[in-house]
Amino acid sequence: MKSTPSPVLRERIMRLRYAYIDKLPRILDEVKRACEQLAASPQEADTLDTLHRSFHNLKGTAASLGLPEISAEGAVGTDLLGRLKGLDAAERRSAVTAAVGELAACIERLDNLKDSAAIAAAPVTAPWSEAAVAAAAEPAVQRRVVFFCDKDLDGSALGAQLSCFGYTFSSFINAEAMKAEVLAAPPDAVVMSTAGAKLFADLRSTVAVPILFVSERTDFPTRLEAIKAGGEAYFVKPVTAHEVVDALDAVTVRREPEPFRVLIIDDEPEMGDYHALILEGAGMMVRRLDDATRVLEELNEFQPDLLLMDMYMPSCSGRELSRVIRQIPKFVSLPIIFLSSETDRLVQVSAMRVGADGFLTKPIPPEDLVTAVAVRAERTRVLRALMMRDSLTGLLNHTTLAQFLDTALANALRQDSRLCFVMLDLDEFKKVNDTYGHPAGDQVLVALARLLKQRLRTSDVIGRYGGEEFAAILWNLSIDEAVRVIDHIRRDFSALTFKADETVFSCSFSGGVAAFPEHPTAEAIVQAADRALYAAKEKGRGRIAPAAAAGQAEARP
Amino acid sequence: MRILVVDDDALAAEMTAAVLEDGGCEAVIVESGDQAMETLATDRDFDAVVSDMNMPGMSGLELFRRLRDGKSGLPFILLSGDDPEQLRGQEPGLAACVAKDAELEETLMTAIAEVRLPAAG
Repeated sequence: MKSTPSPVLRERIMRLRYAYIDKLPRILDEVKRACEQLAASPQEADTLDTLHRSFHNLKGTAASLGLPEISAEGAVGTDLLGRLKGLDAAERRSAVTAAVGELAACIERLDNLKDSAAIAAAPVTAPWSEAAVAAAAEPAVQRRVVFFCDKDLDGSALGAQLSCFGYTFSSFINAEAMKAEVLAAPPDAVVMSTAGAKLFADLRSTVAVPILFVSERTDFPTRLEAIKAGGEAYFVKPVTAHEVVDALDAVTVRREPEPFRVLIIDDEPEMGDYHALILEGAGMMVRRLDDATRVLEELNEFQPDLLLMDMYMPSCSGRELSRVIRQIPKFVSLPIIFLSSETDRLVQVSAMRVGADGFLTKPIPPEDLVTAVAVRAERTRVLRALMMRDSLTGLLNHTTLAQFLDTALANALRQDSRLCFVMLDLDEFKKVNDTYGHPAGDQVLVALARLLKQRLRTSDVIGRYGGEEFAAILWNLSIDEAVRVIDHIRRDFSALTFKADETVFSCSFSGGVAAFPEHPTAEAIVQAADRALYAAKEKGRGRIAPAAAAGQAEARP
Repeated sequence: MRILVVDDDALAAEMTAAVLEDGGCEAVIVESGDQAMETLATDRDFDAVVSDMNMPGMSGLELFRRLRDGKSGLPFILLSGDDPEQLRGQEPGLAACVAKDAELEETLMTAIAEVRLPAAG
């Protein structure tokens, strides 16, 4: 039997992880300096040793602190420097330039990782410090670098739009200059004209940079040439920022899937711990429950993707328990897997008839348990996402957002924390649809959804409330801070331009913000935000208004 | 058990100590092989040494060899960012070589349990 790390140990590891992430910028600075030294004097064995050790430490320490991506980059550097150490002086002199280039790219990736690690490691309900509010004015995701090269692409206009979506761009006049820069410091993506495609055809073997092509040509040979040069996307001019961002997001953003949530019910704590450990080892989030009678509360609170339960328990049998659960409409689709040493097929079949999705016989090999759980949990995820989300924007739909608000208010009350509810409405959206057509209107909705997702924290809840109405639940910030955060987003949104046929237009939105505990119930907070939104519209649109405290007149924005 | 932890990376040392202390051991941290030699020369009350492999100056392996040649008799566990299989069986007398990875808690405590067994039995 394996031992489970105690809560105290987990807490300590968590703190060490924060400390490490804090320290990373300094480590990376040192490594950068050592790299420069190495480039200047490749024969210095000491520099090489120090650098090798630094990367080696990154690899080891990050791995044991549960930061596998940082560790992987550490491994890349370690291998690279290990090879360099193995060379004799003459070979090293010639190899060092390329190696330093690769190391710079590796450090660059680490630089990006350290920011995303800091975001990922931050406690979910981290308070909004002054700095965090200021940072929210900037895109929350790491900025990704894009190179442009096209005589017709107005780099500055497109660039300004891309920067709202978290991209930094550099514009090049000719493809050769860009190629040299791509080799020296690979960006996250390249957007270029098909005219330079030939030049990039041989690049793919050296640097893996996604290339998006823009062209005025629609003929097959040109498209084929673009594919041969490794083109990930092909746009016919004129291009809009939104289609470029869509393609850039697809090729540059690596989204970490959320871990599966599994609830284990087993009256034998050792068995439950053992299975929990196996599933946690596979990266899942597990909660254990010894007392089957508490299952409904636990299901509501933990919201698992799957339930794993023992077939025979003293208080009630697995069959009885699954019937209880299946009688509640919202748990009808929750997968239930029975675990038992029962090998009798008949008993297994009768368990399936009361709504179990699977039957696993103990002792089960760890990898079988992981597969059985992962396959079913994934399916629930997909189904749930289809039910919960708005198909156009991918945001939560009205019903789901309302449920989240109930839960969020209950949590805020219990934890004595603050919460703001925000309602946004696109200004004169009907005119957009009427003037430019529905596809143009959809473009606007998708752009606002994307901007909200990028700018708010992952712990904040965002939904499409109705046709052109959006809503968000923001944790742990005052109403003034919330107004500031949303107002920054409003300003950036109104700077975006959209294109319908040959016409360029832009859009604005108005918003209302209400806070808990001033408005303690879902009904009250929604109404207050709605009234504030109405007040903002009355005052002339394109502004964000805070709700007045209950019983007072609306505050003037 | 009282264990000497040797690691030049303070956070890594803290991490190792956290795992050991959670397993009921007492951990004393030093930053280098030289410091480890000094400490062991004056303080004989250790039950094992857990050392990082890759350190400036004296490496973990050199520290182990010196202690072995000096007949310290202390069980020695080496922590390494590399594949521990590389060293397995290569160094007579090395109690264990443990990879610094996400399973560190488990592999390290298993190694400690193995070291502890003969003494307890």
